[in-house]
Amino acid sequence: MTGKIQRSVYLVGNPNSGKTSLFNAMTGERRRVGNWPGVTVQKLEGITNTDLATLTICDLPGTYSLTPATPEEEVVLKTIDEAATGCIVNVVDIANFERNLFLTTQLIELGIRPVVSLNCFDSFTKAGGTIDLQKFSAYTCTTPFPTVARTGEGTKNLVEFIGQNAAGISSDAGNWLSLPSIWLDATEQALKSKGLRWDSATATQRYAALSDLIRLHPAQIIPELIEIRQNLAKKLSEGRERPVKTTDLACELASDRYRRIEKLIAACAVVPGKNIPAWQEKLDRVLTHRFFGLPMFALMMAWIFWTTFSVGEIPMGWMHSLVEALSDFVQANMQESLIKEMLVGGVISGVGGVIIFIPNILILFFWIAILEDSGYMSRAAFIMDKMMNSIGLHGRAFIPMIMGLGCNVPAVLATRIIDNRFQRLLTMLLIPLVTCAARLPVLVLLCGTFFPENPSMWMFSLFFVNLLVLIFLGQFISVIFKTTENSPFLLEMPPYRLPTPSSVFHMLYEKGAHFVEKAGTVILAGAIIIWVLSVFPREVPLSCDYEMQLTQLRSQEATDEVTAKIADLSHKRDIELLEGRYMARLGKFMHPVMAPLGFSWRETVSLIPGFLAKESVVSTLAVLYLPYSEHTGDAMRKTGMTPLTAFVFMTFTLLYIPCIATLGVMWRESGSTRFTVLCLVAYFAIAYGVSYVTLKIGTVLQGSSGMAWFEGMVIITVSLFAGWYLLKTFIVTISGSKCNSCASCNSCPTKSKQDCSGGCP
Amino acid sequence: MVRTTVSLSELPEGSTATIRDIDSLSPTSQRLLDMGFVPGTSIRAVKKAPMGDPTTFEIRGYQVGLRRSESSLIDVEINPDDR
Repeated sequence: MTGKIQRSVYLVGNPNSGKTSLFNAMTGERRRVGNWPGVTVQKLEGITNTDLATLTICDLPGTYSLTPATPEEEVVLKTIDEAATGCIVNVVDIANFERNLFLTTQLIELGIRPVVSLNCFDSFTKAGGTIDLQKFSAYTCTTPFPTVARTGEGTKNLVEFIGQNAAGISSDAGNWLSLPSIWLDATEQALKSKGLRWDSATATQRYAALSDLIRLHPAQIIPELIEIRQNLAKKLSEGRERPVKTTDLACELASDRYRRIEKLIAACAVVPGKNIPAWQEKLDRVLTHRFFGLPMFALMMAWIFWTTFSVGEIPMGWMHSLVEALSDFVQANMQESLIKEMLVGGVISGVGGVIIFIPNILILFFWIAILEDSGYMSRAAFIMDKMMNSIGLHGRAFIPMIMGLGCNVPAVLATRIIDNRFQRLLTMLLIPLVTCAARLPVLVLLCGTFFPENPSMWMFSLFFVNLLVLIFLGQFISVIFKTTENSPFLLEMPPYRLPTPSSVFHMLYEKGAHFVEKAGTVILAGAIIIWVLSVFPREVPLSCDYEMQLTQLRSQEATDEVTAKIADLSHKRDIELLEGRYMARLGKFMHPVMAPLGFSWRETVSLIPGFLAKESVVSTLAVLYLPYSEHTGDAMRKTGMTPLTAFVFMTFTLLYIPCIATLGVMWRESGSTRFTVLCLVAYFAIAYGVSYVTLKIGTVLQGSSGMAWFEGMVIITVSLFAGWYLLKTFIVTISGSKCNSCASCNSCPTKSKQDCSGGCP
Repeated sequence: MVRTTVSLSELPEGSTATIRDIDSLSPTSQRLLDMGFVPGTSIRAVKKAPMGDPTTFEIRGYQVGLRRSESSLIDVEINPDDR
């Protein structure tokens, strides 16, 4: 590899412009690509080789403008100086030309000459658009490349060009997109006040000077710039009917940029008249219909759960027999030893108990991938916004929430798309209450065992309980901190697209591999630890000498009666042995805490490895219940677990502390240990409280019939709501009243207007 | 000709208007400007969400959903044929 040039390439562009697709096409990696803004929340890096150079390609989060509105967009601004030393590829969705060129204009104004990837070129030409690339290149001093990142068309040329050339073209004469002289002069003056010069300033310094000039809010204006701003406004006013005020500067600059863009497009391209085809609007009219939009969304969700569970049961059965066959094979063909015992009792039953859920997880992700790629996810956020808003969340929070269905870890990362810190923390707090795929095995196992008539309905009801808790907590916190202050809501609606098989496959591959990897590492380790705890100490004092009795029985003639006795005796022995192991001791030690919820010590123990990875709850149960039956569900039923306890146990598993990985990201993303610890305590308390209430409600429902249980139900529901309402009113009373806590709130005389919409009387 | 400016949040579904002014004091304004909500731009209210808020607008060939709190920052002039 020596002798090759090393070059860093940075991809910048609008959200959903196809940066990640281009990244994949350039590097051959398989990053997740979705058809909704904000899929990339961190910098991604990949390496590709050309004949001349080794390129390190870096995919930056999408942004509409260099002016950051969210923490993830800040990444772009922070990287600009570093990127300017390498090569910047500006990904421009040509089907959305004007708005995408805004970022290009900003880059050019700062003296950066990006290589422009005119992406989605196929749909542009298909709609009748044409562009004169030579003119575009001449007027912008950039090198444009038409690309179709989804299919990889044109990316080869792009990569080769970057491999051959140093960053962009440096000639700057007659660039149509660069800053007009009036603005340039003012920026130069602003730089001078900081002791800098335009020629020697870095892109970030130029950017800072320019954005200081156009600051909107009076409180943010730097005193040295007041005169420069006034002069600038005066110059801009020349020849106008209405004089330009200094507060209009931001508007003037944006308008000027768009005028330059319009002029450029008019000179070198024919943009198709209507970008959005009629069928898309019709589809939108149906999917976001005033009355049918929400029910359709709910139906879609129900369909996803149904297929995940009921349809997924069939391949799950296959996986199950496969694992059993493997277990039998080892049982029959290996020498009796501790290793064999570990293989059968620990590894195969533990990891196998989790691996059989792969079909369910793949089905769930298949649907999520379809929803994302088709562009429906943004519509879902759109129709859910009002509802999310009522629990104090942003419509965008819906996206991490949905991601949370898969895994809470990326969901916590995805909260970066929310710009307001409080909203972000609130979303982060609520995400672990979203049932991630890892919790699915517990649901599938228990619902299948205890509610065989209609497992998906019960599963849905558990999700519903979970959702209620989430809503109540969100409401509660919004009330306590009396904040309905919202970050700006700008939700781009991407055009509908047919999901490509390869994109869906990538998602399934990624998630499946992630799951298998987890099963092979964390869960394997967990399963072995649990196994060790459940087979040691080897010597356990027994109530009678089972071995002797068994030997006696075996020496007798093998009648049915004797065989049954042998089975019964060895079964009793196994249970007695299990109860003498460390695991049982640990479980029994902790049991008093969980006993009020009706859990046995086995369930109590299974919750501990659940902290490592939620799937381990099932694998632990499988190991602990092995002496009773091969089939964990049957064993649980045999040892006296009722459907009610099962339901309570599921509720608890859904709600109690998130796994260690999620907590880790929460801690890192929030940057607050206090917040993380508080969350941890809150989850446990909530899980305990909700499970207890569920148990009591269930007992009332079961214990009595007819009117009695109906009354009980009503009393509990009413008291729950009353309790919550009282608490809410109480808080509102002591903390003053609920207002929008807008920017002017500190000086607000009333603090009582619920709907002051940002301005107080 | 009498000019009637209304807030963008009051633009009826399906009608087209031209942006006249944008509230420069709100922190959201910069982002709106950057996304092309500059005076003189034509804009159309496409669809309201099931519960009346937010609304999708079509501007510069793309669609974006805005809440009432954002769309009320923008003043528009409804096009004569749509009035």
